[in-house]
Amino acid sequence: MLTACGMIVVLSPALLLAVFGLSALAGIRLSERLVAKLTEASVVLGLFAAILILGVMLITDRRFIPVEPGDWVSIEDEHFHFTIKFVFDRLSVPFVILTFVLCGVIGAFASRYLHRDEGYHRFFLFYAIFQLGMILSSLAGTIETLFLGWELVGLSSALLVAFFHTRPNPVRNGLRVWSAYRIADAAFLVGALTLHHMTGAGDFEGLMGSGPWPEGRASVTDQQALYVGLLLLGAAAGKSALIPFSGWLPRAMEGPTPSSAVFYGALSVHLGAFLLLRVSPLLEASLPLRVTVIALGLATVVFATMTARVQTDVKSALAFASLIQVSIIVVEIGLGFRYIALSHIIGHACLRTLQLLRAPSLLKDHHALENALGQHLPDQRGLLRRLSGDKLRISAWRFASERGYLDAMLDAYLVRPFIAVFMWSDRMERRWTDFLTGQTSTSAPAPAPAPSQQTPNTNGQ
Amino acid sequence: METPEQANAAARKSAEIENHILCAAEMLPSQGPISAFAFLNPLQGMEDTPFDDALRTVRDIYGCEPYLEESRYRAKVDRGRILVDDLREVLAADLGDTAEESIARLCTRRELRLNMLLHPLNSGDEHELSWVIAESDALQRFRTEISHETRETLITETKNWILDELRQRAAGGGLENQRIQTAFEELADILPLRSIERWNGAQWEQMCLHLLWSFARQGVETTAPCPDPTASLIRHRDLIWKAYHSDPDQWVNDILVSFCAAWLDQGYAHWKLPNREQGFWNSFSALYTHGSTVGKPWIRTLNGELERIRTQGLSPTEVITESLDALGVPADEHFRYLRSTMLALRGWAGMIWQTETRADRVYIGSPSGTLIEFVAVRLLLDRLAANYFHTGQPELRDVAFADLRSVLKTALDQQCRACIDQHAYIVFQLAQILGWSPQSLAQLTAEQWKLLSGELVQFNSHEQRRVFHLAFERRMAQQALDTIAFRASRERLAPSKPQLQVVCCIDAREESFRRHLEEVAPDVETFGTAGFFGVPMYYRGAADAHYAALCPIVIKPQHWVVEDVVYSLEDSHRARTKARRVIGAASHSFHVGTRSSIGGALLSTVLGPLATAPLVSRILFPQLAARMHKTARQFVAPPAVTRLRLERSENETPGTDEDQIGFTLAEMCTMAERALRDIGLTHSFARLVIFLGHGSSCMNNPHESAYHCGACSGSPGGPNARALAAMLNDVRVRRILKERGLSIPEETHFIGGLHNTATEEITFYDLELLPTNQVRSLRLARELFSRVAERNAHERCRRFESARLDLNPSEALRHVQNRAEDLAQTRPEYGNSTNAMCFVGRRSRIRGLFLDRRSFMMSYDATQDDQNSTILARILGAVIPVCEGINMLYTLSAIDTPGWGCGTKLPHNVTSLLGVMDGAASDLRPGLPLQGVDIHEPVRLMFVIESTPDALLKIMSDNPVVGRICKNGWAQLAVLDPQTARIQVFRNGRFEAYQPKEPELPQAESSLDWYRGKRDHLGFAQIGSPSGLSEC
Repeated sequence: MLTACGMIVVLSPALLLAVFGLSALAGIRLSERLVAKLTEASVVLGLFAAILILGVMLITDRRFIPVEPGDWVSIEDEHFHFTIKFVFDRLSVPFVILTFVLCGVIGAFASRYLHRDEGYHRFFLFYAIFQLGMILSSLAGTIETLFLGWELVGLSSALLVAFFHTRPNPVRNGLRVWSAYRIADAAFLVGALTLHHMTGAGDFEGLMGSGPWPEGRASVTDQQALYVGLLLLGAAAGKSALIPFSGWLPRAMEGPTPSSAVFYGALSVHLGAFLLLRVSPLLEASLPLRVTVIALGLATVVFATMTARVQTDVKSALAFASLIQVSIIVVEIGLGFRYIALSHIIGHACLRTLQLLRAPSLLKDHHALENALGQHLPDQRGLLRRLSGDKLRISAWRFASERGYLDAMLDAYLVRPFIAVFMWSDRMERRWTDFLTGQTSTSAPAPAPAPSQQTPNTNGQ
Repeated sequence: METPEQANAAARKSAEIENHILCAAEMLPSQGPISAFAFLNPLQGMEDTPFDDALRTVRDIYGCEPYLEESRYRAKVDRGRILVDDLREVLAADLGDTAEESIARLCTRRELRLNMLLHPLNSGDEHELSWVIAESDALQRFRTEISHETRETLITETKNWILDELRQRAAGGGLENQRIQTAFEELADILPLRSIERWNGAQWEQMCLHLLWSFARQGVETTAPCPDPTASLIRHRDLIWKAYHSDPDQWVNDILVSFCAAWLDQGYAHWKLPNREQGFWNSFSALYTHGSTVGKPWIRTLNGELERIRTQGLSPTEVITESLDALGVPADEHFRYLRSTMLALRGWAGMIWQTETRADRVYIGSPSGTLIEFVAVRLLLDRLAANYFHTGQPELRDVAFADLRSVLKTALDQQCRACIDQHAYIVFQLAQILGWSPQSLAQLTAEQWKLLSGELVQFNSHEQRRVFHLAFERRMAQQALDTIAFRASRERLAPSKPQLQVVCCIDAREESFRRHLEEVAPDVETFGTAGFFGVPMYYRGAADAHYAALCPIVIKPQHWVVEDVVYSLEDSHRARTKARRVIGAASHSFHVGTRSSIGGALLSTVLGPLATAPLVSRILFPQLAARMHKTARQFVAPPAVTRLRLERSENETPGTDEDQIGFTLAEMCTMAERALRDIGLTHSFARLVIFLGHGSSCMNNPHESAYHCGACSGSPGGPNARALAAMLNDVRVRRILKERGLSIPEETHFIGGLHNTATEEITFYDLELLPTNQVRSLRLARELFSRVAERNAHERCRRFESARLDLNPSEALRHVQNRAEDLAQTRPEYGNSTNAMCFVGRRSRIRGLFLDRRSFMMSYDATQDDQNSTILARILGAVIPVCEGINMLYTLSAIDTPGWGCGTKLPHNVTSLLGVMDGAASDLRPGLPLQGVDIHEPVRLMFVIESTPDALLKIMSDNPVVGRICKNGWAQLAVLDPQTARIQVFRNGRFEAYQPKEPELPQAESSLDWYRGKRDHLGFAQIGSPSGLSEC
């Protein structure tokens, strides 16, 4: 029975995606009402099953329920297994329930918010991808399954940022989010392979020992833990917009309000923290790793606090406010407060979703507050005032308004050399083929040298 | 050392630059802060130019579309909303005597143009065209809509002609014609010329089309179809973008958007912009003199530049002059260049200009000269960006930076090959449609080709759409005028002894409200007037922190009015104010706290999960949540019994001090008298007269203000109605009015109220002052209003796709109320969408008409006006600019929503507490959102005024604003004779008699019968049986 419930939790979002995806592929246009109803049904079904499992776990005091549909790829000679395996434990069940609740609310919201929009169906297709990705990542019992979900979340996020693809900015920023995710994914993939190499399988059990979360003990040496841990930390930093990837978070506010709310305010941005929680036994195994996690978290807290202070638009301000909390959560994980971190994630996700959904109300709320107080809102006394010296104040403000120069540095030290290498290769290849054919090849219009030119096919302002 | 002459010349130059910038500022969006939404014509700065001429230039200036796409007009033709006859008529009027002129002996000009309108001609860009030629069967088969006869004739003619030519060649002559020779050579690969005698029909068809295409190309090539292809490319960025597909604006906007947002911020960010008090330029300069330029190599020289400008002590204007010189802009192009530069981020520039010129409308304004400083910053950055781009292009190494513009322009001019193919393709398509044979094309002389090509250039896409648009307006105008003419020829209809009189706003939304009111209760009389009821004031409610201006945006109020809680409830008021303050402070700390680090961590861990309650309830059960909220709010709301402090003693000047609040008795009398005389309510008073202001309510919507009363600067107009009613109930006012010949019966009582156009709720003010003998009439009135609310909601629901068409009236009312409480609803109502006309005259002449919520309605009784039409002049002085502004904003926003409007609401991001951006960072977006205009049909407003042509001509010449709008065609104008049903239309500077086309008007039993089950725009109709008309 429990296995059946477990399968329902996974299959209901998978079915939703199949229906939306196949109908789009076949060119069948479902009515708006039907799309909304299907979404609702899928969420309610999944949520109900998840709550049932939670109930059973609470009553029977079982703390670990695995569901194994089996191997997807299995190469016996090489001892390679790509196992699909789902785990219901104290970490995944709350996360799954959170996902269903927030996705359900957002689905209901979006079905009215996007009414008559030409991208209605596209939105709900991405939504289905996202929801499936979140469920897979939360329940993943092996690192491969986690990666599958992780990728689905990344894909849908980037597509939703670029939802309004007729304007250049969303496309450019979508690409930027996509690129940041790719770096994180590369770290994840290398980490996963290393793990395989060390333990022979991607099971978290093999890695963390058999104790149910959070009591697992890592079965690797501290050196190995540090190495894999750092790679996974890189992955988490990309997904949760920690330094130095923080620049993508405010840029992700290009999509429709509900997608910004649920993805970057609530669920997707916590996925990095979730990964760290999932592999928390690794952190225990290596002190340097823990110190790194805490340091990265603290640095991001300081950075995000400063940056949040200068934002003049509500969505960016909320994005950086989210980032502050996410990095505090990372610090908590580093310090070993796992339950606190988990409840912090849940509380923060709910609160921030509400705030982001209500972001268009800002003016009305502001007005109501002023009426209640009977005056203009008082100025916030902050760090900036206390800074002595004009020059220091200006520098601090500029630092915050340039978002810590993080994006600029990525452009200068990562993107530009990267592009330069490939441009050089292109020139060399041309020269070589010209030499071989004896003709001059026509080159594409000369790309301009500036960093923002990574997206040559975007239109003017 | 500078000589005095040099100094003089520099000063003159500076003055000129500043003058240019002030002129260009007129073209910026005139929208102020979004929370006081201003309905103004986005092209207000061009109203001095005739409408048609202005629209010809806007595409180049703003990059926005002046008309809908052809395909959307053609869809209207298909749906019968534009008739072919309309197109013919418009063309005839347009062309006049030149209509029948022959174009190269192929066809007449009229024929040519009509066919270009009726047949969708493909004129795609270069790449699309080459695809069509190479891949589609465009050169093998005739267009599908070509008739069989035309096709056969063309093929036969071609066949005979070609065979003739070949025969002549065989005889030793022939085929001298170079054109045929070329075409034949092109064809050799495709068709077997050897066996030409044995060709079948399909091969001849192909031959015919090939010849047409080849001749068209050869012919057009000899003409120069586009004289100046780069005319609209003014700024360096435009040229670079066109030539290299690289966008320096991206770099510049990146810096400028965040700086402008910080500059304009009204208190959202915690850290204010440093050195803001020193002005725009200085604060920018201080900020960018230091700091890293990592990742932005193009501003590497910015530090140095700013340093240099500071040491040389250049003023912002001098910086502009310097930049223009460096960019190589010749003096005669300065204005155009500056204008385009300012319009590049027109939202931000416009808002800076608004905060500079209307500082009374914002909390933190901008000092004068800020716009000039903005332009100085912009140009400096533009210059650096263009310069950086320039140095990065190896092939431009030998070009001096100052010459870059002209070099790029020349290069682009030479590349323009696409136009020839485009024009040729149009000729090719027209040849099929109009049956021009290859032979006739081959025989055209170079002169004739020039003529033909010139015709096509003249009747370009813009002109075609203009004709479509005029034809559509013509159809709408005819519908409106026929309806009015028909109705006006019947009896006037007004209750002789009205039980109740209701005065609503002029707003198009009130048309259905008033109609239902009259349908349900025939003894009710309704009036329309501008929704501030002639009481312009700054108003502060009992629970408000600030004053709001309640009057049209063009008026600056001179008086202040506050709402006081009555003395007996003052204690409770004080306690509740305190409670509100405590709750407000707590909630403010909470909001700030959740965005901080430690506080945020505590709050989100502890209270975060509780947020699911409002989250789930607000979204899944919006009405329940709203009810709970309302109940909770009632505990701290100010006590229900309040009074307006309206009266000021004669010897105080108006102001915000305790004693300066209100109007003097004399001022009140003037306003009260004027309000009544304007609408002609001077006799037959009912026992109860209700003034209904209107407002709206919705959730989670930055554009909420756009749904409120346009005549109250985007605020609810209830306080104005309340103030007027209070004045008219004052016995002293009544006594003075009686002395002035306006006698109000003693038993008449006035009530002010507010109509919520979203929820249909109606609130009345000062009911505790109602005389006891009036209670019964009020009770009846309220019952009436509740029935009307349901019917009005029901009629509105037919336009909402998410409301089922089979709702009953009470379900419909619940539906509209739900919309207003829904956090996710982007269309709480449709505002003045679909407005198309404005009637100024007596209600009795149009009572009983179904105008589909498309008409503004102003009451005016010409028979009560004097010889000089004094009343009409003062009414129109406000009504014409206000309604035209609303109409033009809707119309342009609907034509190009991302351009003139603010695009879709979905990614909007409130910024600086002033406006919205698209997503994370963009230009500020004024105008109306897609969700507010998606059912609007763009037409210029048709004013139908019950008056005489002479009166109107006089008003137009006396009032420059009215004259400008009407004479330049920014609105259409017609007069209805006060005695007869004669209508005269204002065209080309004079009034012409209008001949109604439709003798009959559809009739329906009730409004419901007429609209039931229909979603789309409806025709006008007569409601009620014709016998009902003789009631009066």
